[in-house]
Amino acid sequence: MRRFFLKIIRHRNWRRDLEAELEFHREMASAHGNAIPLGRASRIKEESADLWRFTFVENLWRDIVYGVRGLRKNPALVFGAAVSLTLGIGANLALFSLAVELLLSQPSVRDPNSILYVRMGGNSHATHEVLEFLQASGVFADVAGENEEAFVNWNDGAQTRPIFANFVTKNYFTSLGIPVAYGRGIEPRDPDEVVVLDNRFWRKNFKRDPGVVGRAIDLEGKAYVIAGILPASHRTLQGFGYAPDVYLPRYLDDTVLAIHVRTKPGMTRAQALAAARAVAARMDAAMPEPFPYAHGVSVKPLTTLAGIASDPEGAVVGAFFLTLLAIAGLVLLIACVNVAGLLLARASARKREIAIRLSLGSGRGRLLQQLLVESLLLCALGAAGGIVLARGVTVALEKIQLPVPFPIHLHMDIDWRMAVYAALLTIAAAVASGLLPAWQATKESITPDLGRDRKMRLRRALVCGQVALSLIVLATGFLFLRNLFRANAISPGFDLRHTVRALVELPATAYKDDFKRVNLYVNQGVRELSAIPGVESSAAAFILPFNDATRFGEPLKFPDTGERRNMALYYWNAVTPDYFRAMGIPLLKGRYFLPTDEDGAKVVIVNRVFAEQYLGGREPIGCVFYRGRGQIPYRIIGVVEGTKNITMGESDQPQLYQPFPQVPNPKRTKLEFVIRSATPPLGQLEAVRSVLRRVEPDAGLEVSTLYSSIGMALLPSQVGAVLMGAIGLLGLLLASVGLYGIMAYSIARRTQEIGIRMALGATRGAISKMVLGDAARLVLTGSAIGLATALFITKPLAIFLVPGLKPSDPLGFIVVVAVLAATGFVASWGPLRRALAIDPASSLRYE
Amino acid sequence: MGTPNLLQGTLDLLILHGLQRGPMHGYAIAQTIHLLSDEVLTVEEGSLYPALHRLELDGAIRAKWGQSENNRKAKYYEITPKGRKALAAQEQTWARLSGAVQRVLAR
Repeated sequence: MRRFFLKIIRHRNWRRDLEAELEFHREMASAHGNAIPLGRASRIKEESADLWRFTFVENLWRDIVYGVRGLRKNPALVFGAAVSLTLGIGANLALFSLAVELLLSQPSVRDPNSILYVRMGGNSHATHEVLEFLQASGVFADVAGENEEAFVNWNDGAQTRPIFANFVTKNYFTSLGIPVAYGRGIEPRDPDEVVVLDNRFWRKNFKRDPGVVGRAIDLEGKAYVIAGILPASHRTLQGFGYAPDVYLPRYLDDTVLAIHVRTKPGMTRAQALAAARAVAARMDAAMPEPFPYAHGVSVKPLTTLAGIASDPEGAVVGAFFLTLLAIAGLVLLIACVNVAGLLLARASARKREIAIRLSLGSGRGRLLQQLLVESLLLCALGAAGGIVLARGVTVALEKIQLPVPFPIHLHMDIDWRMAVYAALLTIAAAVASGLLPAWQATKESITPDLGRDRKMRLRRALVCGQVALSLIVLATGFLFLRNLFRANAISPGFDLRHTVRALVELPATAYKDDFKRVNLYVNQGVRELSAIPGVESSAAAFILPFNDATRFGEPLKFPDTGERRNMALYYWNAVTPDYFRAMGIPLLKGRYFLPTDEDGAKVVIVNRVFAEQYLGGREPIGCVFYRGRGQIPYRIIGVVEGTKNITMGESDQPQLYQPFPQVPNPKRTKLEFVIRSATPPLGQLEAVRSVLRRVEPDAGLEVSTLYSSIGMALLPSQVGAVLMGAIGLLGLLLASVGLYGIMAYSIARRTQEIGIRMALGATRGAISKMVLGDAARLVLTGSAIGLATALFITKPLAIFLVPGLKPSDPLGFIVVVAVLAATGFVASWGPLRRALAIDPASSLRYE
Repeated sequence: MGTPNLLQGTLDLLILHGLQRGPMHGYAIAQTIHLLSDEVLTVEEGSLYPALHRLELDGAIRAKWGQSENNRKAKYYEITPKGRKALAAQEQTWARLSGAVQRVLAR
């Protein structure tokens, strides 16, 4: 180490110093009359020079200069390699930054590691009394709450519509330390009517005007003063790009809140959990209603990665991205094989140069270093292009409005993680593409006569490897594309094409706790919607499949035999009589609900799977059961076909419907209308909007076709298919280019042989057969290797696929092998025709 | 009879030994060795200066520019604690080696 620093400090001066020193020596010697024989000064300098030099660094620099000079004379090689590597590295970087944003990004809060998400009594959200109790206990530095999936009605002057709101406690911004771009966050001493805007919402609706801070907007009929605007880079605690439009203080007393606590310095997660449990126990003693808090207390870290590790759904997302990155890595490998092919060709062209350098005493390691530096230069060029490409792709990705029913806003930056990943990719690519040709080049030149055979074998191995890699990439891409088409073809169990859907958020101040009024509104709404010309039927429901789902797990008890089913799991909904008609869900047995199913005995309609699984062979119609511990009898009056609930890929699940008026839920002010129209539903949106606005002018409204609003369900397979398909195509493109290059080169090398064969009387047909047969053997060998590998490594993909589609699906592999075989054929055909067209006599002089 | 060739490694030993007397420039080191050996050993510049630079890089000696006795700028070498340790070790080795050679020749 010391030596290294000394070298750095004195490196510039050593030569001058040495000369002065020698000069002094000579003067002294002559002054003393000592004829000390003067050694060869140049040799002394050389010897000390070796001591003082950073041999490695200086050689490296010389190699870089030499490499740049050599590559500049070879623009075709540079262009081919740079394009291949730009595509390969760019695809990898783009995917990596997407994965980083989704999996590794941190929320925009001060010191995110000290914030924990706390559940009390197993509930995701708790009442404000719970938060206040926690705060008062003093075990945590701070306690903040939010209801992140709320809506609020915004009147922009022209119309009222529901926007996504995050109801927060007033200490939310200060205790979490959330930075704002303009103005300030909500502060504890603020009045109730303040609001903080999301950056994107502000950009879209307020023309990026920072002057709106301090002005008021109309929310729920009240004037809210804009306190501040969040920065564009704001990331919410929920992650995954989730970004509500506005933040406002909790405005209803019974708004439930997710609890976020800031731990005191030095507090571990285990200590925090123990502390939360202790507080919950005290809370149970102090307020026994409405349920025990001490059960199911949990704490969860916020950072996305730690959160994902504790969440099974997150594990699937993580696995998906790992697969994606692995496949992208294979694409880069294909690009590297292309470059290796190019470098091999170049190596044989500069055989003479390398032989001369070796015979002049250049070390083999030195030559290897020189050749590797060249491939490193190419890869650096590719990495530069790749970064530009990835940046372009991510900017485009950020702009895309995802078809999901809630606001998602991704922002991906080039940060140090990207830079490190890019550097690693570059080095890996340089070694992958350069090592083999460099090794081969230096080895071959020593034993030139043995080399030729071995080199052809190496090149053939490269072709096989490339075919195998492309097969894996293509097979995966194809699998996801098929998955997409399958998923699109699967019926959700209801009619998507003829239906309009309207989400209504009733003004909570007027409708809360007044279920009679909600019912009146629903009846009037359904009546007036049905009167729209062209509308066949309309209905209201608490929820719509794919947009929301309520799943119940409770015991069922049958009074006829006293039999008890311990845990019946089913999806629940409450609907008005025409729901099944409007949705196009077929009735199998019994009858629909009637308007008279209101005050009398409780009735339900179940789906086929519910009847099969839970009724123990009873005749469904007329079957009576109790739910949970209750003593109210529910009678089944109809059996319908099932629908999908959350994803297209799910298998049929039990479902239970209740008549809308029989479920008095005073807190629920959000409901859905479905309107079935004989005319195209897109043309009915305006009519539906105006009818509903007339019925309740203060309600928030969102009207769309049912088809567009279930986009979320198709999203995972769509995104996966598009990404994988794009990567598959990229892989095919790169592989075809490489295959073509290698085939063309190997046939060009055989021109002389072909000439001799023709001179000896071989027919063109025989030669074509020989060359094409050779190519076919290569492609088939590669395919066989790729097939075996692909069968093995695509197994874990099954979790992303719709039921009935397996990773080992033979059709996909057949198609992919056919595509590769066609590519190989096309790649060989052109060069072969050129070789055959040459006059045998001139081809003998070819080399 | 010419100047005997210095054994590999012994030059370092002689330089370090000479520097025990205090800082010296390269010419003085060569002269000291020459005189102390009763003019038997002659150190050529060609071996002296590379050896000095190597020792400096190893940290056994350190160098700085100073004024010579005739008022000229000269580079002075000085032994470091690390150099003293190396010298002790090398002296021991040399004593063992020369003793062994003596014994062989005496029989």
